Amino acid sequence: MKRWRSRGRGMSMTSILVLMVVCIVAVALTGCMILFISRYQRAMEQSAKTSSEQAVEQVASVVGSYTRDMNQAMAMLVEALEEEEDPDAFFDNFLKIRPDVVAVTRYDSQGELLDCWALDRQPREHILENLSFDKRLLESGQESSISAPHAESIFEGYYPWVVTMTQKIDGEDGESWLALDLSFFNISSYINNVGIGQHGYCFLTDTGGSIVYHPQQQLLYSGIKNESAEEQLASRDGNYTQEDMICSVKDIEGSSWRVVGVSYVDELVTANVAVMIQIALTIVAAVLLVTAVSSLILSGVLSRPLHSLSNEMEKFEQNAAEYTYHPVKGAREVGALSDAFGHMVVKIQDLMAKVREEEINLRKTELKALQAQINPHFLYNTLDSIAWMCEQERSADAVQMVHALATLFRISISKGHELIPISKEIEHAKSYLQIQKYRYKNQFSYTFNVDPACEEFYCNKITLQPIIENAIYHGLDLMVEEGRIDVTVRQDGEDIVFTVEDNGVGMSQEQVAHMLHREPGDRTGIGIKNVNDRLRIYFGEGYGLKITSELDEGTCVEIRMPKVKRGEYGEK
Amino acid sequence: MARSKKMRAVLLALALSVGLLCACSAVSTPVTTQKHRVALVVKSTETEFWKSAFAGAKAAATEYNLELSIRGPETEEDYKTQNEMIGQAVEDGAEALVFSAIDYENNVPAIEAAAQAGLKLVAIDSGVASDKISTYIGTDNYAAGKMAASAALQSGESQICVGLVNYDANSANGQEREKGVREILEQLDNVEIVQAMNVFSIAENARIRTEAMLKQHPEINVIIAFNEPTSVGAARAVRDLGLEEDVWLVGFDSNVETVDLLQSGVVDVLIVQNPYAMGYLGVESAYKLLAGQTDEVESTVDTATVLVTRENMFTPDCQKALFSFAGW
Repeated sequence: MKRWRSRGRGMSMTSILVLMVVCIVAVALTGCMILFISRYQRAMEQSAKTSSEQAVEQVASVVGSYTRDMNQAMAMLVEALEEEEDPDAFFDNFLKIRPDVVAVTRYDSQGELLDCWALDRQPREHILENLSFDKRLLESGQESSISAPHAESIFEGYYPWVVTMTQKIDGEDGESWLALDLSFFNISSYINNVGIGQHGYCFLTDTGGSIVYHPQQQLLYSGIKNESAEEQLASRDGNYTQEDMICSVKDIEGSSWRVVGVSYVDELVTANVAVMIQIALTIVAAVLLVTAVSSLILSGVLSRPLHSLSNEMEKFEQNAAEYTYHPVKGAREVGALSDAFGHMVVKIQDLMAKVREEEINLRKTELKALQAQINPHFLYNTLDSIAWMCEQERSADAVQMVHALATLFRISISKGHELIPISKEIEHAKSYLQIQKYRYKNQFSYTFNVDPACEEFYCNKITLQPIIENAIYHGLDLMVEEGRIDVTVRQDGEDIVFTVEDNGVGMSQEQVAHMLHREPGDRTGIGIKNVNDRLRIYFGEGYGLKITSELDEGTCVEIRMPKVKRGEYGEK
Repeated sequence: MARSKKMRAVLLALALSVGLLCACSAVSTPVTTQKHRVALVVKSTETEFWKSAFAGAKAAATEYNLELSIRGPETEEDYKTQNEMIGQAVEDGAEALVFSAIDYENNVPAIEAAAQAGLKLVAIDSGVASDKISTYIGTDNYAAGKMAASAALQSGESQICVGLVNYDANSANGQEREKGVREILEQLDNVEIVQAMNVFSIAENARIRTEAMLKQHPEINVIIAFNEPTSVGAARAVRDLGLEEDVWLVGFDSNVETVDLLQSGVVDVLIVQNPYAMGYLGVESAYKLLAGQTDEVESTVDTATVLVTRENMFTPDCQKALFSFAGW
């Protein structure tokens, strides 16, 4: 018989459960995290752009007010030139309160230096090249301008970097020009402190795109660094994202300068996003861990009890009779299974015991029946009778007795079959009665009333004879009058019913009850109990003997069996 | 039963280690690295050249978040003090040394001792005879010498008599420049190097000795001075003797005085170096070496020189080279 091995076939419940749960959780979490992080990244980028814009706007506004301020100062100086009696004192005071103004110079309509006001300094005798005044202005027709940054070239030993604001003055003596040389004193202190993020910064350019002021101007002038945002310098106002850099550009109102803000996506966005991703991954790992552990615990609750249950079943399979069941604890369903199994074990063990008992019974009764086929007592008594008849020269009677005896034993044996046709059983009974009648010297009489339709059916052999024997020995033997035995065989629905009635001494109720449980001694043969047992073993609990009796009146034994045709026994 | 127990134990161990790793990496992101210490030891601290170098070095130190110490002896001949200063820097816990050696040979012991102590070495402006240096950042002095020689030939004279005013003969860069000058001039027939002298790197000393040289050799019509103090001294001498018209002066480096005198005609050519870049790149290289980015550090970095004359000195590029943009 092939043993069914379930191990190694398919995955265990534990792994399926854990895998499924972990997968679902992982997928869900990953989806959420990706969504969240992409949203977050976008938000951070937006925020970086906004902060860049805001910084630039602020710088633009401050520098704008500075240039407006300087324009006003210029206007004031022009006025002073025209109206003041002592413009020198005025200019000196002006220079004292404005430390960002390096020098104020005046030029005639040819661009020659007329005056120069500066704190504690005089211009050189021979100025090699005056960078503060661009002679091209004379032809351009412009009234005012602001220069690109340059070194101050009119003093000895003093070369600060300045931008020059120039203004044309139409005076009574003709055209002249006033120039203010501004150092980056004010602008630098403001712009150097503007930061966007940790590494972002702002710088100023002119409309042409060349740098006016940059917090790292010396680095640029030394050629160490290039301002990579220069490409953007000619563009319009707005935000430009370029690789890892965000540039914001804004024109300064009222001046030809523009502010450019540079910030790094890296630090503003990427670093933050990286941190978020790390946090997200940590959360995912933690959640997965918790999920896995709890799945394991859960399946432990389910699968371990089931395992023990299946182990118990194997143990039971191997040694059913000796097995005692110890209930397996677990979830409710497992408990129900376990209980059901326990009951089943008990039932099976009961059934097994019962079957064994019945087998034993059957063997016993068959053995007895086998033994009784040849009853020694009966045999030698009958042979004595026959011998006596022969001595009496009643040969005809002797012959009949011999025939009856032969028939009796032939049918008793019936080639070893247990089931014989009812006709034969009746013949058996008749033969027996014949013999007994002779022996009892016609103390009794008998009748047979047989429904011919019953004769083709089969029944257990040696059914009637023990009943009749019982009727004779216990019923009629003790009677004084003539006894009588009536045997009837009839159909009753699907059953055959044999009846053996006698008018003997009868039995009390206790004796009736006792009858079916009494094992007879050798003397009388197999007995009523045997007949009953065999009938019940063969045909079931519903069949067998029923005894009714009345003291001094008689006894009636009813034998019930189902209709069995030849060869049908197996089905019934 | 045993199998599932083992499996559970293994899973638990794995999970714990994963958790620990995550926690560690999450924690380690905002760690602030300690500031690296870089020592800058140069030839002196008073000339505009060095002040410009300091400005560059400080800019780099700020950008890369370094602790910078600056040292230099009083005179540019005092290599002994410079050695002591290098030793001091090592004791003070510097992790990298950026230096310009006064003496090509005699600074070697201190340098090697620093290398032994595990410091990274960056040479700027002037080299030293040691192979422990990771990089040299400075002017290509030999080429600068040749540039000076070419500038000298612009004097317009047919017969050129040259006086060389050089500084410490043990200083690598001065020697290389002179080599470059001689390379060009000695080949030409119409050029004669009348006198070459080595003076102290102090303007006053240079002035006195240049005056003496000019008095001794009145035929000299070209003077080449090899660094800032010698250029200032030589210019003063030419001015004091009233020889602007007669002497074509080629000097080195940007100094307010020589720039003034360039405009007035005393000085004719200035070979302007880029000390700001030397200081900045020197410290930046030190940082890169300390941060392990050794493959980004080249063994030689040539900081450019600009030839400045009266004609081009106020062009934007020359302005940028001559005048430093800082400190109002």
